[in-house]
Amino acid sequence: MPTETDNPHGGPKPYANPYLVGVLLGLVLLASFAILGAGLGASGGISRFAAALSMSVAPSHTLSSEYFGKWGENPLHYYLVFMFVGTFVGGLFSALLANRARIQVERGAASSVGRRLGYALAGGIIVGFASRLAQGCTSGQALTGGALLLSGSLVFLVCLFASGYAAAWFVKKQWHD
Amino acid sequence: MINTLYGLDALGTPQAFLLALLIGVGFGFALERAGFSSSRRLAGVFYFTDMAVVKVMFSALITALLGLSYLVGFGWIQFDQIFLMPTLYGAQIVGGLLFGVGFVMGAWCPGTAAVGVAAGRIDALVFLLGVVGGSILFNESFALVLPLYTIGDFGTQMAYTTVGMSRNGFILMFTLVAVAAFWLSEWAEKVRTGRAPYRGSPFLKTYSFALVALAGGLFVLSPDTTEAAAKSAAAVTPVDEKALMASVEQGLDHIEPEDIADRLMAGESDLVLVDVRPAAEFNAFHIRGAVNVPLAQLAQTLQPHKNQGLIVLYSNGMTHPAQARDSLQRQGFGNVYLLTDGLVGFRDRCLKPVSLRPEPLATVDAARVNAWRAFFDASAVSAKSDVATAPVHAAMPRAVETHQLASMIGAPGLKIIDLRPQPEYNTAHIPGSISLNVESFRGNIGGTPSVLLPPPMLAAQFSLLGLQSSDSIVIVSGEKLYDTTLAGMAFERMGHMNYAVMNGGYAQWVQEGRPTDTTLPVVTNSKYPMQKNADNFTVDFQAVVAQLGKPGVVIIDVRPTDYYTGKKSDEARAGHIPGAISRPFTEDLVIGSNKAVSFKSTAVLTEAYSRIIPSKDSMVIVHCRTGHQASQTYFVLKRLLGYTNVRWYDAGWTEWAARPELPIVSETQDIKSKQ
Repeated sequence: MPTETDNPHGGPKPYANPYLVGVLLGLVLLASFAILGAGLGASGGISRFAAALSMSVAPSHTLSSEYFGKWGENPLHYYLVFMFVGTFVGGLFSALLANRARIQVERGAASSVGRRLGYALAGGIIVGFASRLAQGCTSGQALTGGALLLSGSLVFLVCLFASGYAAAWFVKKQWHD
Repeated sequence: MINTLYGLDALGTPQAFLLALLIGVGFGFALERAGFSSSRRLAGVFYFTDMAVVKVMFSALITALLGLSYLVGFGWIQFDQIFLMPTLYGAQIVGGLLFGVGFVMGAWCPGTAAVGVAAGRIDALVFLLGVVGGSILFNESFALVLPLYTIGDFGTQMAYTTVGMSRNGFILMFTLVAVAAFWLSEWAEKVRTGRAPYRGSPFLKTYSFALVALAGGLFVLSPDTTEAAAKSAAAVTPVDEKALMASVEQGLDHIEPEDIADRLMAGESDLVLVDVRPAAEFNAFHIRGAVNVPLAQLAQTLQPHKNQGLIVLYSNGMTHPAQARDSLQRQGFGNVYLLTDGLVGFRDRCLKPVSLRPEPLATVDAARVNAWRAFFDASAVSAKSDVATAPVHAAMPRAVETHQLASMIGAPGLKIIDLRPQPEYNTAHIPGSISLNVESFRGNIGGTPSVLLPPPMLAAQFSLLGLQSSDSIVIVSGEKLYDTTLAGMAFERMGHMNYAVMNGGYAQWVQEGRPTDTTLPVVTNSKYPMQKNADNFTVDFQAVVAQLGKPGVVIIDVRPTDYYTGKKSDEARAGHIPGAISRPFTEDLVIGSNKAVSFKSTAVLTEAYSRIIPSKDSMVIVHCRTGHQASQTYFVLKRLLGYTNVRWYDAGWTEWAARPELPIVSETQDIKSKQ
């Protein structure tokens, strides 16, 4: 990736061995099992922020709604909200350490910022909806549920990759250099 | 033995939040180390240019899987300490397919996007805003997607059960698949980019071998995970054993499978058959009529049956229940027995078809076997046919959701009780449900109006409803969810713990477009057995007086605030019991768009009550005016949140106010006396 090797200030450090990082991530997940009794999650935390936003705009509508309503008046009082904040902090720490933090829109050199951000927004909306539907995302269902060998989570994992590969060709322009 | 925060029901506490934050830091750090703060790297997996996603994700998955299996194998943790998400094929297949499209478009997933934002990626921030929007969209369109949750709802379902493999076999196969994926990933990168530093490297060889060896090691460590866990549990809590073990060996405390089968078929009322295996295994297969009780809750759950009738424990083999029996015996239970040879023996001796037996059977015996098979096959044949009925047999009182009840309908032994007013019931009701006015469980006892009837009268009422003590009861209400919990108190008084209340009530059921019916069910009178000593939770005013002012005792007045303060009153005197705190029962409820009433989430309730009750075993007395609303708070505390020492002052303010010798506090009075 030219953008990274061109950095005059020593440049970002190379990525760690993916297998060993995977083992590290697995140990974090294992610690989560042993301490919390629940695995890792990200979309669960974000949806709490969504509920809090909804509460601040339309409290009575939110409280009486079928899904967010069950979380009560303080949707942020939830362990996954704190885990999500921690994820950001841990990422920041590692990115600074490796000199990888840089404000940018990551995209192919030949692709416009508008296209990339448009895809990111649309992808985000779909992912937000889909992870509520499936009761988890890559972290909460695929990784956590997969490690627990839950049937539904493994089916989710397979479906995720299947449709990802099926759709990949249609959105590849954003990475053209 | 590790008790997790989930196992302790403490995920809603500040300590849990702090620990979740720290685990999150580790999570984010690992994701960023992997280079997942780059959307380009993440997207690479879909174009075979950068397969890090596969390498990291499967390494993490296998590491956690093997780690957890070893922890279980060593007996350091049990699966009931871990939250196992339900399998809902409909929602998870559609969700997975959608997620894949969103993932490849956005090139982020929720967790990596958090890390991406930390590394300054604007596209990650935009993606996260999209996820927030998508979550709100989901909430707004929840009613539309709801039907998806009814398709393929299998509860807790393990993949190895689904495909019919042993757990260890499945793990080994899964590990081999992951290792193959690693090698294929390296090959793909080599072909696409020409660079693949780990391809065929000594590192990758060693790593692959180590994972497979660890997976294989599970066969040695725990040939059967459950039994191994039981053995090591035994090692952790040593028992004063000799005498006990001697009697175990002599078989004095055993019951033969044939004996238990006959007793169950005869509907023996004072027999409690307890399956002590993990819930997942219970759900996959159990003996009809058995209840599933986690080992940790055994003594507490079985308290009503202590030294009354027969308690029979079983597992796959014998180690686990023997251990549990010893523990119960030390706590004064003298009526606990073991099922000889456990589930294995029961299957072999009672359920094996006559045609498959090595020796021919006499006609009488063959008839007996056929009768057993006819009776027990409904719930003890295979995982597949059993899942639908499994939730019915989960023992503890609890709240069920509408979709859970929908999947139970038609299961043997399920009785649905509808508490709505009769005209509403007659117009339409859940198919097969029986109409009941909950007031028929109450009456004037000893001059106090509206208190729960004593056991003999409840037994008569239950008999008229055609209930059996082995039935699974689901109670449905209209807008008064506390009707269901009041009926629940009647079941608790009769020691009938296999009941559930339906969250959301009939309104929720109708809103979701679920089936209704207008025909009346066929009910045959039964002989519901009398149960004298199950009620250890109802207290009278003397008991409340004895607790007044005691440190650590919490008295909760669940009436509306105006009644608590004394501003309003329908009784002899206005105000509240000295020291009582106000927590109106309505605070525990959420009212949906068309008056569907549900309990607030456990996390919210846990948090709210942790502020007013010092600990899970604190003495808590709940009361209202007549015991009706307080039954709901009792249910919330005892059955949803796991408070162990909850008492119900049934006669409540009606009685307290009418006894002039009892002290009261009234805020309006205070004002007067100050003037």
